[in-house]
Amino acid sequence: MSVAVAPPRVPAAREQEARRPAPGRSRGPSLWMAGPALVLFGVFAVVPLLGVVVLSFMSWDGLGDPVWAGADNWGRTLADPVTQNAMRLTLIVTVVSWLFQTPVALLLGVFMAGRQRYRAVLSVLYFLPLLFSAAAVAIAYRALLDPNFGLGTALGVPWLSQDWVGDPDLALWVVLFVIGWCFVPFHSLLYQGGVRQIPATMYEAALLDGAGRVQQFLHITLPQLKYTIITSSTLMIVGSLTYFDLIFVLTNGGPGNATRILPLDMYLTGFRSYDMGKASVIAVVLVVVGLTVSLLLNRLSGSNKMESQMEGV
Amino acid sequence: MTLRIGRRTGAVVAAVSVAALLAACGGGKQPGGPAAGGDGFSAWALTGGTEDMFRAQFDSWNSAHPDDEISVEWFANDAYKEKIRTAVGAGNSPTLIYNWSGGTLADYVANGNVVDLGDSTAELDERLIPSVAENGKIDGTTYAVPSTHTQPVVLYYNQEVLDAAGVEVPTTYDELLDAVATLKDDGTIPIALAGQSVWPELMWIQYLTDRIGGPEVFQAVLDGKEGAWSDPAIVEATTRIQELVKAGAFGDSFGSVNADQNADTALVHTGKAGFVLQGSWVYPNFMEAAPDLVESGGLGYTTFPTVEGGAGDPDNIVGNPSNFWSVSADASPEAQESAKEFISTQVLSDDAVQDLLDIGAVPPIVGLEDTIEEQADTDHPSFVYGLVRDAPHFQLSWDQALPAAQSQALLDNLSQLFLGQIDPEQFSEAMDATL
Amino acid sequence: MSARTARTAPNVVGGLAGWIWLAVIVVPIYYILVTSLRPQSDYYAENPLSWPSSPTLDAYGQVLANDFLRYFGNSVFVTAVSVAVILSVSLMASYVVVRSTRRSTSRLFQVFLLGIAIPIQATIIPVYYLIIQLGLYDTLWALILPSIAFAIPLSVLILTNFMRDVPGELFESMTVDGAGEWRTLWSLALPLTRPAIVTVGVYNALQVWNGFLFPLVLTQSAETRVLPLSLWAFQGEFSVNVPAVLAAVVLSVLPILAAYVVGRRQLVSGLTAGFGK
Repeated sequence: MSVAVAPPRVPAAREQEARRPAPGRSRGPSLWMAGPALVLFGVFAVVPLLGVVVLSFMSWDGLGDPVWAGADNWGRTLADPVTQNAMRLTLIVTVVSWLFQTPVALLLGVFMAGRQRYRAVLSVLYFLPLLFSAAAVAIAYRALLDPNFGLGTALGVPWLSQDWVGDPDLALWVVLFVIGWCFVPFHSLLYQGGVRQIPATMYEAALLDGAGRVQQFLHITLPQLKYTIITSSTLMIVGSLTYFDLIFVLTNGGPGNATRILPLDMYLTGFRSYDMGKASVIAVVLVVVGLTVSLLLNRLSGSNKMESQMEGV
Repeated sequence: MTLRIGRRTGAVVAAVSVAALLAACGGGKQPGGPAAGGDGFSAWALTGGTEDMFRAQFDSWNSAHPDDEISVEWFANDAYKEKIRTAVGAGNSPTLIYNWSGGTLADYVANGNVVDLGDSTAELDERLIPSVAENGKIDGTTYAVPSTHTQPVVLYYNQEVLDAAGVEVPTTYDELLDAVATLKDDGTIPIALAGQSVWPELMWIQYLTDRIGGPEVFQAVLDGKEGAWSDPAIVEATTRIQELVKAGAFGDSFGSVNADQNADTALVHTGKAGFVLQGSWVYPNFMEAAPDLVESGGLGYTTFPTVEGGAGDPDNIVGNPSNFWSVSADASPEAQESAKEFISTQVLSDDAVQDLLDIGAVPPIVGLEDTIEEQADTDHPSFVYGLVRDAPHFQLSWDQALPAAQSQALLDNLSQLFLGQIDPEQFSEAMDATL
Repeated sequence: MSARTARTAPNVVGGLAGWIWLAVIVVPIYYILVTSLRPQSDYYAENPLSWPSSPTLDAYGQVLANDFLRYFGNSVFVTAVSVAVILSVSLMASYVVVRSTRRSTSRLFQVFLLGIAIPIQATIIPVYYLIIQLGLYDTLWALILPSIAFAIPLSVLILTNFMRDVPGELFESMTVDGAGEWRTLWSLALPLTRPAIVTVGVYNALQVWNGFLFPLVLTQSAETRVLPLSLWAFQGEFSVNVPAVLAAVVLSVLPILAAYVVGRRQLVSGLTAGFGK
């Protein structure tokens, strides 16, 4: 899962001064200390990033040497219906994931933040999906969703015995559900942390004003969680754009192209069709979209930070 | 001064880190192991099918050459296809490269990944069925040699299932459609199809196209002629495929049936399905999983039905002429020598031939009729042998014949065709775009 | 603190929903466990959710016999080395960012920040090419080096944020005592940023341990296979033997489960890696 994070806390100028060594003394650690980090990051992250852009203009089949191909790849790839479908699917996955996971995680987070003892026990269990690797989850679900021997047979519910993974109309929804199963626990943890930070005084005041549970949720909890929502959404959206592992093992992009989202399309184009140039074009698209979304969401949360969450307390 | 010490120590640390990095690079292929490229004599082979024959060959080599043992890594079919090409491209391939000839071999040759095998295959060449051996030659030079049985695609059926439903073995396409209807009413899946693996679906379009239009149709595709995929024969073939799907010929959940698990043949020998169109490589699976059915004659096999008004010779076959060994050009000279000697002494040796016959597989060797007659199980081998020997044309599976990108597009579009997501015109259009 | 506890009327709807979600979480996990204990012959016969009539550890035996420990060992090696290098390298870089007065430092920081937005998947092809050229294809180092590289930006970010909270006076006093930068880093910064180091360590350990794409593309032989990849390969080979496949899944989760039981708080905080702030 690729990671994006809320903007770093920019320290106030005064703090910065106090931390820096007083002028006239040593100028702090030499830049060499950051050398290894820079070298490793540069060679294995930055160089490949530039490499992807360069490769997108080249033609390489994995066997010989890359050969210059100009803008050929770009035209071909962007016109390719499979890639266009992949972009459409990625958009669907991103939006629907958000629509499914955010409310569930939010409500769960609020639920888990409650002080009842049984909720603490439940929280420990809720965390379990996060312990599994994506491959493990995908494999388990494949067995679970087997139309002949899976969950449907177990519970005796025929509706559950459909061809979940083999039917092109159902496969995408299955994928969305399994992704949600994996990641709702994570986001609910974020929301739980967020809710725990809301001061009790706000709720007490509301109670005095006669606000019901629902009203408290809508007028206090939700607004106070704005920052958490942004963080969780950023992670969720950027994660959805680049999600690969689970879908690869669960459906491998199939049936047909029903679950062939962009990262999967890139992998299959590169390592099954051996059209590395075209795959690099898709990769560049991924990077550009990822960067744009990250920056946009950063800006959004950046402007939010002007207002205090504690207004009116 | 603090500053100078800081800078100097920092520089030292940085230098050490970089040095460690370079050492790691130089240290290179540590847990890469002998089965990877490099110096040792190595091979990657496929599990299932004629695995035992290969194992016997490797063992035989190892006992004859204890100081030059071959190290083998075993793969399932789909997993193998996933990794081999990247391995070759990375210069990390095994010495003996298992392949299906066709487009991939052509790519290997074009990029200088495999060596000329002419001198070590002279003797073997004389014993091979020519049409099979031809596949390993590019412009007259031998780059790949057949290593195992020849595998035409055959229509297998469970006689008991057919009898129970009152179905006769079809010889024409229309009879097949009738059989499908009858079997469906009887509650069985008429034809098992491993839709999840996708490549089994190729057999249908291959045979239908050949029966309708003859081998020239696909040859045009191979030659890269513009619009070759829109040939009326292909359009009719894809139309018939959708006709079969709509008639419920393949059941409801063929999209989840996987060939690597032998799920499609399992449907037939457990009586849940009547027919399966598969390569003769599945016969050993039947023998292993349902020996009673095979022995009692309950497993039937026949040629693909003809299509009325079709131009193709009904004796043409499709499938894999064989599987081949090539020798990696990136292997060390010693390993290459070992590989060549392995080829001349072990491949399709008398022992290997017998091993194949024992499991009902048919080696692509000329003049085997008498030997086959002597076997315990003669019907299937003589049937297959006759097919291959007498076929005017043996079409290599399309996904192997085509270059990688086209082959992948073919599989993708074919899968969508079977799933009803695209229609015949869209299929031809999409495939034409790849030419 | 939420004032929920002050409520007298129990939240029935909320409670119910909580239990439903619990079922959604637990049923698949229960299924995995139960099936792994079922003998293969019974798999097709018995109700999938029932406790096996004759539970057996055969499936586990099969998995272990199939080189499971080697894959486990590979994962351990890759994770341990990666995390060790990530931590040391990022700590040093964070120290520079926080303590250096040079103007170029903020630019350095921005370079690292940019790295956070780079999706790993997008760079896989050039990394593949690079690894081949370096002669590292199909080695465990092919997994370690890129993992380190992509973990650095976030690690530096978290460590930097944390280290900034360390009061400047403490650093001053070290300098006054005549300590060099290395001494200061080792004796002061390191202990004081320990919570963040644990967080970063745990987070990266989980990411590397569960990594799938890099091993898929950059390794090929069984000797360099790591755990998640081995699950996939195992499933391809033994997919008919569902109990065995699920036993492999269980075995792959056990180490992390053990860590969860032992250090739940660290694991949870590591996983959320300070995002909640």
